[in-house]
Amino acid sequence: MSLQHYLVISAILFSLGIFAVLTRKNAISILMGIELILNSCNLNFVAFSRFVTPPENIDGQIIAIFGIVLAAAEAAVFLAIILAIYREFGSIRPDEVDTLKG
Amino acid sequence: MVVPLISIILLCPLAAFAIFALLGLAKRSFPRQDLLSTAAMLIALGCSLYLLKEVVPKPEPHTVDWISLGKITFSMGFYLDIVTVIMLIVVTLVSSLVHIFSIGYMHGDPRYPRFFAYLSLFSFSMLFLVVSDNLLGIYIGWELVGLCSYLLIGFWFEKDSAANACKKAFLTTRVGDVGMFIGMMMLFTRFDTLSLYGDNGIFTRITNPEYLTADASGIFWLSIAGVLIFCGAIGKSAQVPLHTWLPDAMEGPTPVSALIHAATMVAAGVYLTARMFPILTPSSSLVIAYVGGITALVAATIAIVRFDIKRVLAYSTVSQLGYMMLAIGAGSYVAGLFHLTTHAFFKALLFLGSGSVIHAFHAMHAHHDEEHTDDNEHEHDNHGLVHAHGSEIPPDQDMRNMGGLRRKMPWTFGTMLVATLSISGVPFFFSGFWSKDAILAGALGKAMVSHSPHYYILFGMALIAAGITAFYMFRLIFMTFFGEPRNQEMHDMAHESPWVMVVPLLVLAVLSFPVVNPIWFNDYVKPPPQPHIHAPQHAQLGPDTKTGDANSGFAFFGISEAEAAEEESGKNTEKANDVYRIYKLSHNIAMVLSICIAGLGILLSWLFYHRRKFSAESVATTFRPVYNLFWNKYYFDEFYDGVLVALTVWKSRLFAKFDLSIIDGIVNGVATITRQIFAAFIGFFDNRVVDGIVNRVAEVTWAAGGRIRRIQTGAIQTYLFVVLGGIVLIILIFRAL
Repeated sequence: MSLQHYLVISAILFSLGIFAVLTRKNAISILMGIELILNSCNLNFVAFSRFVTPPENIDGQIIAIFGIVLAAAEAAVFLAIILAIYREFGSIRPDEVDTLKG
Repeated sequence: MVVPLISIILLCPLAAFAIFALLGLAKRSFPRQDLLSTAAMLIALGCSLYLLKEVVPKPEPHTVDWISLGKITFSMGFYLDIVTVIMLIVVTLVSSLVHIFSIGYMHGDPRYPRFFAYLSLFSFSMLFLVVSDNLLGIYIGWELVGLCSYLLIGFWFEKDSAANACKKAFLTTRVGDVGMFIGMMMLFTRFDTLSLYGDNGIFTRITNPEYLTADASGIFWLSIAGVLIFCGAIGKSAQVPLHTWLPDAMEGPTPVSALIHAATMVAAGVYLTARMFPILTPSSSLVIAYVGGITALVAATIAIVRFDIKRVLAYSTVSQLGYMMLAIGAGSYVAGLFHLTTHAFFKALLFLGSGSVIHAFHAMHAHHDEEHTDDNEHEHDNHGLVHAHGSEIPPDQDMRNMGGLRRKMPWTFGTMLVATLSISGVPFFFSGFWSKDAILAGALGKAMVSHSPHYYILFGMALIAAGITAFYMFRLIFMTFFGEPRNQEMHDMAHESPWVMVVPLLVLAVLSFPVVNPIWFNDYVKPPPQPHIHAPQHAQLGPDTKTGDANSGFAFFGISEAEAAEEESGKNTEKANDVYRIYKLSHNIAMVLSICIAGLGILLSWLFYHRRKFSAESVATTFRPVYNLFWNKYYFDEFYDGVLVALTVWKSRLFAKFDLSIIDGIVNGVATITRQIFAAFIGFFDNRVVDGIVNRVAEVTWAAGGRIRRIQTGAIQTYLFVVLGGIVLIILIFRAL
């Protein structure tokens, strides 16, 4: 297993995440896309930490841990916002929440 | 020792005024301003008398620099010679006596403290004028005494006549002062200084060819400057044609008339002319002599027909001042100053005596004031400047209401008689005889030495004026003190004045005898050299080398020391003896003639007004035109009223019309043009152009905004897509680079 394999996997994950974020009509699905993007980043950090930096340096892996924690916190906030949006608009479809439309 | 003494002399009266002024700011007054001012004057008098002992043989100016402008420095300082000290004594002595007299005379006046404060200010100004060593200082003192004169003539400013008289005095003297100022500037442009004495003073520089060449043009220039400076003296000393203010100045309180308008301020003009003696040239001397001679004669003839006791004295003062001018113009420097001194005493005495008489009628005065204000209401409505002619005589000053007062007021009568004998030139025992005689002798001597017809004419004028003087002065005495009372009611009310008024009269009476001794005067007072009258090349070696005893006699009779020195230093001592003999002879002739003419005047006066052998009225009827000329004061006032005042009023009206029509027209026209044309244009521009631009910009912005806002879809995924596209674009651009 070389660094390239991890990067390819990470790129696939990232693209899927973007795709989900741009195309899904459900806010929950968008959240899931964002999680995919975050995890692709974490995967990159770990991979680079493993293959590029010296073994005693584990900064990349620690950042990945931070990223996971961040993702958890973000999910909580995001879900709370979605709940509030639902209460306001009665829907969680992002194209229906268009009060800022010019 | 000299400087502190002068400082005390100057500061005492100034302090007395300052106390009044500063307390006045706090709306209070010193409880005894009269005593304060009088004490200040007495201290100044004491110091002046002490200075007489101190005065240095070779007088030095004491100066400090005052203002520096580039290379030019104006200094301020004192110059003390015997003439200055004599003037100091005259001023402080007369001023002190007038202060004491005023304590009685002004008693009960509502502005009693102010009167004394003004007197103090006047004394300070006059003393400052006297001791100044430069023309600038003299000019400052000159204007200050003019101001004090204005304040004191108008002291009873409730009276319209007094208010008008003080304005008239101020404006008339100002006319002369303009000439004087121009003269000062002329001297300044030529000599670069206004100091008179010292190595860099004007009197040193007039003989310096660097500054003034002694050729015809230089002399002509100096003559013009001298005559212009003399203009100031014409105004201040009330010489023809600016004499009209002095008789009107009698509206002021009588002690003021005695101090300012008889003894000191009006003599300042003579003093100035005497101070400027070295710059006089033959032609400017002649102008001065003629002005003096004409004044002496004109004023004396007017005095004959006056009935107001103070106005007789006023015209007499004008006439005597003319005498002094004549003396100085004729080169009789010492005689002029001697007459100034003696005149100061006996004329102050005459005025104070007349004040005493007026005071005797004081109860009538109050009564009269009420009447007076009544007719003023409709009389003084018209333009009032020159209307202080005093054609209406206050009854307490009208000699036709007097008569027989000698029994009622023996002291006043006695002292006034002494002064009258003195001014009339009654021989030997009275100072006036000696001074008047010296002037007549000087004029005649000058005429005989120079063979100039001018000076014979001037001598004749002075002689006639002397006779007239004796006539009108005895007319005053006879009408006031002799005969039967003409107005019994007023006569019953009359009383001798209190001692505080009589004592000054007595002191002045003593001084009207030759206490101021002609011999002493002659010994001490030396005329300064006149380099441009007596060949300059001689004068330069002359004056300092020659002060022998033989010449001391010359000065008095009119020949100046320089002239004597010139004659003596020239090879011809015989000629000098000739000159001396001529002056001696002229003195004898003049003495005899003046005694005769004074006797004639007194005799005529006695016949007319005491014995009533002839009737003055019938003489007046016979010579009606002449009488009218005298009665109307040679129509000077009418001339000024009719020409100068009318011209000024006409000019003012013209200017007013110009202002109202042309200037206002221009202003209004500009306003109309501005409103109708410019304002309309600017309004149009604002509304259309400026507002148009603003509105168009707003509209364009509004429309653009309406279109651009469409891109804000509000769909979050659109935004994200654009962001992603942007990132891709940026990456591609960076790759391409």
